[in-house]
Order: sequence, then C-alpha cells, then structure tokens
Amino acid sequence: MPEFSLISAPPLAGYDETLGGIRLRAPEGLAIVSIALPLGGEAAAEKAVKSAYGAALPEMGQSVLAGDARLVRLGVDQAFVIFDHTEPNAEGVVAGKLKDKAYTTDQTDVWVGLEISGAGCREALERICPLDLHPDAFAVNQAARTVMEHLGVLIIRTGEAAYLLLSASSSAGTFQHALHQSMKNVS
Amino acid sequence: MIIHHPLLGPRDAAEFVYLGDASLIDRPDWQAEDAAQAFHAYGYLRDNPAGAHQELWYHEQGDRSWLVVTRDTTTHEITQVELARDVARVRGRDK
Repeated sequence: MPEFSLISAPPLAGYDETLGGIRLRAPEGLAIVSIALPLGGEAAAEKAVKSAYGAALPEMGQSVLAGDARLVRLGVDQAFVIFDHTEPNAEGVVAGKLKDKAYTTDQTDVWVGLEISGAGCREALERICPLDLHPDAFAVNQAARTVMEHLGVLIIRTGEAAYLLLSASSSAGTFQHALHQSMKNVS
Repeated sequence: MIIHHPLLGPRDAAEFVYLGDASLIDRPDWQAEDAAQAFHAYGYLRDNPAGAHQELWYHEQGDRSWLVVTRDTTTHEITQVELARDVARVRGRDK
C-alpha cells in the first residue's frame, strides 16, 4: 500500500470578509445531497423523507430546517439536503435515512457555498440577482435557482438578513469576486 | 422579457433557453407506414405564423423544467405558459 493520505481542499476555504456591515463567508463542512423522486414512487419517497427528517418535503421554492439539515425543493421531482458533515460519505448517510425510496447523488464537491449576512446584504444582492428579494416576495426559508453574473446560483433565505448562496465550485473565485464587488459598491 | 412560470412565478428570460416549435412534442410513430415522410416533416417543416406561436422553453437556470410558451411573434406578448409534461399528457403521453 502506498503511503499517502488525501487532504480536503474546498474552494474558498476559510474565506470570511466584512465590508460596510455586510459579512460574506464560505461556510465549512457543508454537505449537499440531491434527492430525485422516482416516477410513480413520489408518494413513497415523500413519506420516507418525512419519517427520516421529521419534516415534510417542502413545496417548490421553499426550504425547511429539520434539525441540522435543510431540505430544499428545487423542482417537481428534485430536492437537496444540505447539512453539516465533513466525512466523504454524505450520500450514503442520506440514502440510508431514506431507506432507498428515492434516488440520491452526492453534490458536495460541485457546489461552493457563500453565506451573506448583515443589515445591508439585500442591497448588495439586489444589484446582481434578477429575483425580487423583498421580504414580501422572498420570505425566510424561501429558495430559488437563478443567475447572478451569468453564473447559476441557488439562493436560500436563511434569516431576516442572511442568505445562503450556492454556485458551481469550478467558478467559485468568479462568484466570490462578483459578490465582493457588489458589497464594495453599496458600502 | 418576463416568463410567468406556472410553478415559480415571474422569472427573467435570461434564466431560460429557447428550443423551438412546440410541435416537437409530437414525435411520429417510427413503425408507421409513412414514417419517413412523417419524420421529414417533424425534422424540417415548420409553420411560421405572424401571431400566436406555441414554443418550447427550458428553464435551465431554474428548476430545469420544459415549458410550452404561447407567444405572439409580432408583439412578443406571452399569453400562456404551461409545463410541457402536462401538455404531453393531455396529448396522450403516459409519462
């Protein structure tokens, strides 16, 4: 056996910046697992999610916090589970909890997460996000996939003045730069 | 241009990609007698109306759903947006 060990090197590791009261940071240890509801087996899969997490799979455009996991409905037959988990076996954990009633795939490494928070964070997001983020239109726990600076983004409102943004890890630097620039422009 | 997604509400057209005429849903039967003729028409022949036009749009930067959008080609006014799978089911598809 060769003597080597793999080192985890997530994009934007350790990034944490505050500009004009807006904080942007890369959360550590986020695991993302996709759940696809099988055609014809939607009801059984939704039931499995409910018994595994104690919360029903939310409606489209919504997310729900169930313990340390956040369930996000992305489409008619697709959802994400986002939770803190540093071991490289997130998919197996979720598949086990769902008792294989849904198709699961590990998405952890293809996404990068950025958490933006602070009183003025909506002003910074407004400039690059085409969605209406006013609390009346995008309440806490709502989630949507959209584009910012030509990059696909999943945006989740995690608090009154806090959002979790997920984008492709391959363009993590560009995404971080776009947000940094927008924060600079409003502060 | 804003497309009113039936499940997600108003979304910017930048989130979508356009495919073409919604008649692409009606793929001909490959075992039919006139299959060659029917596939020629399916592949190449399109109406080019000045007015209401049904077309397929894909919500790529969104929920990845296919939509049938009814758009007026002279004004770009969108009068109806449906999920393509609902349209296909109405037309007799089983999935």
